[in-house]
Amino acid sequence: MSPATPPKASFLTALTDLPKNVWKSIFRNPLPSNDLERSSTSFTNFFLHIHPVKVHKNSLRPAYTLGLGLISFFLFVILIVTGILLMFYYVPSTTQAYDRMLDLRGSVAFGTLLRNMHRWGAHGMVAVVFMHLCRVFFTGSYKKPREFNWVVGVILFLLTLFMSFTGYLLPWDQLAFWAITVGTAIAGYAPVIGKDIQFLLMGGTSVGQEALLRFYVLHVAVLPAVLTLAIAIHFWRIRKDGGLSRAEDADPVVSLEAAPVEKASVLEPKKTYGFQGLVRGPLPKVGQIPDNTVYSWPNLFLAELFTFVVTLSAILVLSLLFNAPLEEPVNALHPPNPAKAPWYFLGLQEMVSYSAFWGGIGVPGIFVLLLLGTPYMDRSTKGVGKWFSRDRLLANTIFITFVVANIIFVIIGTFFRGANWAFVTPW
Amino acid sequence: MAVNLKRSSGEDSDGGKTSRRRMLGWLTGAGLAGSAGLSAVSNFVFIKPRATYGQPQRFSVGKPEDFPSGTRAILPARGICIVREGAKLAAISIICTHLGCTVGAADTGFACPCHGSRFDQDGNVTGGPAPRPLPWFQVTLAPNGEIEVDKDIEIVPGSYLSL
Repeated sequence: MSPATPPKASFLTALTDLPKNVWKSIFRNPLPSNDLERSSTSFTNFFLHIHPVKVHKNSLRPAYTLGLGLISFFLFVILIVTGILLMFYYVPSTTQAYDRMLDLRGSVAFGTLLRNMHRWGAHGMVAVVFMHLCRVFFTGSYKKPREFNWVVGVILFLLTLFMSFTGYLLPWDQLAFWAITVGTAIAGYAPVIGKDIQFLLMGGTSVGQEALLRFYVLHVAVLPAVLTLAIAIHFWRIRKDGGLSRAEDADPVVSLEAAPVEKASVLEPKKTYGFQGLVRGPLPKVGQIPDNTVYSWPNLFLAELFTFVVTLSAILVLSLLFNAPLEEPVNALHPPNPAKAPWYFLGLQEMVSYSAFWGGIGVPGIFVLLLLGTPYMDRSTKGVGKWFSRDRLLANTIFITFVVANIIFVIIGTFFRGANWAFVTPW
Repeated sequence: MAVNLKRSSGEDSDGGKTSRRRMLGWLTGAGLAGSAGLSAVSNFVFIKPRATYGQPQRFSVGKPEDFPSGTRAILPARGICIVREGAKLAAISIICTHLGCTVGAADTGFACPCHGSRFDQDGNVTGGPAPRPLPWFQVTLAPNGEIEVDKDIEIVPGSYLSL
């Protein structure tokens, strides 16, 4: 009798075990009950393996990250799902687009809710991505070795703005038409290639059917693809750059000096040495220093689930309470007076009202270049991992000045501008 | 194996053969980069439309009698304002030179609702961010007696068609 006799496999047991066997073929691990299973669950599940097996406690501190990166990502997911659903009813045609908006409101089940979620999600994403950028700046998290991920992040912020810009032509209402007329004209002020960009964006000399189709393709295919790729690189680099930034004193100080290598030489066989004799750094001292990491299962995953539920709930509540605005259908002959862009472009519009080149291209261009160059100009390694560190007083002050200036311009544009963009007092 | 190693190291130490290999490498790289560049350019050529579906730039706006002296008639669909003073007639653009909004008539001339540019009766900038005055277009009297405007030809502001 061989010890490896397989259990009797009758058809009946195969049938009764079917659900269990199917489940086990999909999920390689039982619900984790010990550290080994926790590790291997994070490691072997497709959706979880993007996470580290263990995560630093500092990365889980809500007061440190405010969860802004995760919220941005979840808003993007909500926007993709609601956006794909809206595509089932939308036609990018100047004669149909606006009617389709009315149909969403009148005759499509959940049409209003989905459009509201898409609109408020988009506004939320612009706001949260910007706050995430501020968080990363104020905690000095762009510093070595995270310089390039900061650059990817700035690109993601610009892509988010461009997503929103291409999105709001699609309802083909007055706001849409005149905002895009003005927006493409601003692009026309860019030196040398400005006029070509303007022509390519509009597919002609004025905003019409060609422009609507082009913005639609950019909005539903090109930009989401680029954005998804950039997000993948962003997440990948978080892992490769050693997780989220943290202060130096977040880990207990250990000597970075290697064990004396020469003694590990084979010429001296009296003692045996393990890895620690050969590798550099504190890694081999496992168990000798307090471990500041916890298992991703369940700590990180629960935090993510919680953030997702809160984000989705907030968008749902907003969408149930407030309807996304829809203005009059396009009248290419009469701009509304005043013609205002959405709130996040009103700072730009206010600056543009002083000078089209400097307000629309010059100042924003310099600001973007400064943002992109920040980690390469600020090479000091001090003040990482702490909100408003004293070591970063200068950098933070400059950044706050820019942010406050932009907020002031947005407020002026929103509340203090009336007909013909004349200065008015809102009271 | 050893022979191969020796031969290849021999080649590497030989200046002429190394440079030939490097040259081929450079040529391959340049070829691939060039193809990629050409593909990118042709994509842009593809998305740049050859024909556009706009309004004609040259059109007739009616008989001189339709515009009695003192008229300032805004034709929004054409993007122009017809100005008639006595026997003189002109067509002024109503597309703001700032960012392309349509300007409206105001007491003192024209005003833009988008960013507050203001123009006088002749289209000169009197305020706001507009960088240039509103252009004047060439107006001619067609043989059939109709006024013809050509928006492709800008003329010196203040030059009228005498009727």
